[in-house]
Amino acid sequence: MATRIPFGPQHPALKEPINFMCEVSDEKVLSVRPRLGYIHRGVEKLAENRTYNQNLYLIERICGICAFAHVTCFSQAVEEILNIEIPSRAKYIRTILAEMERIQNHFLWLGDVGHEMGFNTLFMYSWRDRELVLQLIENISGKRVNYAMNTIGGVRRDITSMIMPSLKEGLNHLEERAKYYTEMCTKDPTVLRRTVGVGMLSPSDALELCAVGPTIRASGIPRDVRADDPYAAYEEIPFKVITYDGRDVASRLMVRLDEVLESISIIRYALDNLPNGDVRVRVPRRVPKGEAVSLVEAPRGEDLHYVRADGTEKPVRVKVRAPTLANIPTLCKMLIGENIADIPVVIAGIDPCIACAERLVFVDTATRKRWMWNKQELRKYATKWYRKK
Amino acid sequence: MKFTKGRLLEKAKEISTPRARRMSMTINKTDFRKSMKKLVDSEGFKHLSTITGIDVGPKIELIYHLTRENLVLSLKVKTSKKNPVLPSIVNLIPGAVLYEREVHDLLGVTFKGNLDLSPLLLPDGWPSDVYPMRKEWAPQDIRKAMEKP
Repeated sequence: MATRIPFGPQHPALKEPINFMCEVSDEKVLSVRPRLGYIHRGVEKLAENRTYNQNLYLIERICGICAFAHVTCFSQAVEEILNIEIPSRAKYIRTILAEMERIQNHFLWLGDVGHEMGFNTLFMYSWRDRELVLQLIENISGKRVNYAMNTIGGVRRDITSMIMPSLKEGLNHLEERAKYYTEMCTKDPTVLRRTVGVGMLSPSDALELCAVGPTIRASGIPRDVRADDPYAAYEEIPFKVITYDGRDVASRLMVRLDEVLESISIIRYALDNLPNGDVRVRVPRRVPKGEAVSLVEAPRGEDLHYVRADGTEKPVRVKVRAPTLANIPTLCKMLIGENIADIPVVIAGIDPCIACAERLVFVDTATRKRWMWNKQELRKYATKWYRKK
Repeated sequence: MKFTKGRLLEKAKEISTPRARRMSMTINKTDFRKSMKKLVDSEGFKHLSTITGIDVGPKIELIYHLTRENLVLSLKVKTSKKNPVLPSIVNLIPGAVLYEREVHDLLGVTFKGNLDLSPLLLPDGWPSDVYPMRKEWAPQDIRKAMEKP
């Protein structure tokens, strides 16, 4: 007897509304169909009607968490069409902020996934530590989210020697916390039971479905834009591409935690080797005819922006492909064969801005009986189901 | 680079390499399917980042952003606006499924072979002849069309 369960789409508590229509038999998921568009705001259309400078602010607001990645990606594309090289100090500052954004995203995600597995202490702890990264970002840019640091031609604010000591001190504390979480996540029975062997994704499926970011790296494939198509200062800064072979949520957890440590070492290197000089160059308002494809490794994976210019102040086309969209076919694949109780953790596993669904309608296809479960009830069901096991 | 420009795709036109790790080329619609197969099967372009659709007046231009090791290839193909049909590449690259649906929603291009072209981004009940990313649809006109009973 197959039952269809719509997952989502929306509730104010969700970070991003989305709908997954899951067909289940007993406890197992048989098939998944995604439905997007609940917050499709037409950003690409809007971008065609705004100047390049106005677009910086629009693009920054695509996402509240990886805002910097998007705006870096867009700026790089426009800079390529303009054929200008930004100062190397600006490249380093972009790298520092991009990595700080990665740390705050991964801590946020760690809390989220903890919450989904019913481990709220982890959620409270990691979000407390995330505050510190946000403070460091605020020290540099003046803002906690949507930092408005990037501009076409460089960055808008410098990192002065005055704030260096506080940045380094903050990094030390973050490193200590990240190490603690790494140790905890490899030993804690709650974490292990809910993540090991859950949401399996084979490397061949990951490649076929064009997965990106930590999701594909947890299946053992070292795909990372920072290494494959270096931008900003990544060509000059030594770093490792983190991969794990576990293919499950536990590996996705470890990839992200190791990436936090790697990000900290990247920031340290960048701060110690920060070149002197200007942080931006002046650019013309009109962008000559041309096009560019720009890639950035956002915290969730490969982010692509394509910009086409026609010599005016406004772009002809701005195409944005955020990493979550690339991971949705992969997510649908991972869910097949999973238990209903594991759906929240697996969905959270790709870090899609949507941790789970708030409103579920269960339809028994044989009797047409309908009933509803909200996110709390599903979580309760999942916890109970695991206790019995 | 392991290949010469001509050998990658014999029938490609307007080949350009704007900078390191970037390449762009145009292909005729009739050669599209064959070329794509060659790129995926023998040239190793297994990763599709996305498909960009652009309204260029009488035609719709599609750009397939393909990646291999350290090369990002933009494969361009044009189709008429009146009857925009292209073969689907889902059986070559399964990851293309959502990108094709996105282009179908926003520009009205039909991909032959993609079995599910139901709305992905646009809401249910969206007027069937409104393709928001086409240039003739200004933002205010889209709003009017949406508000029509």
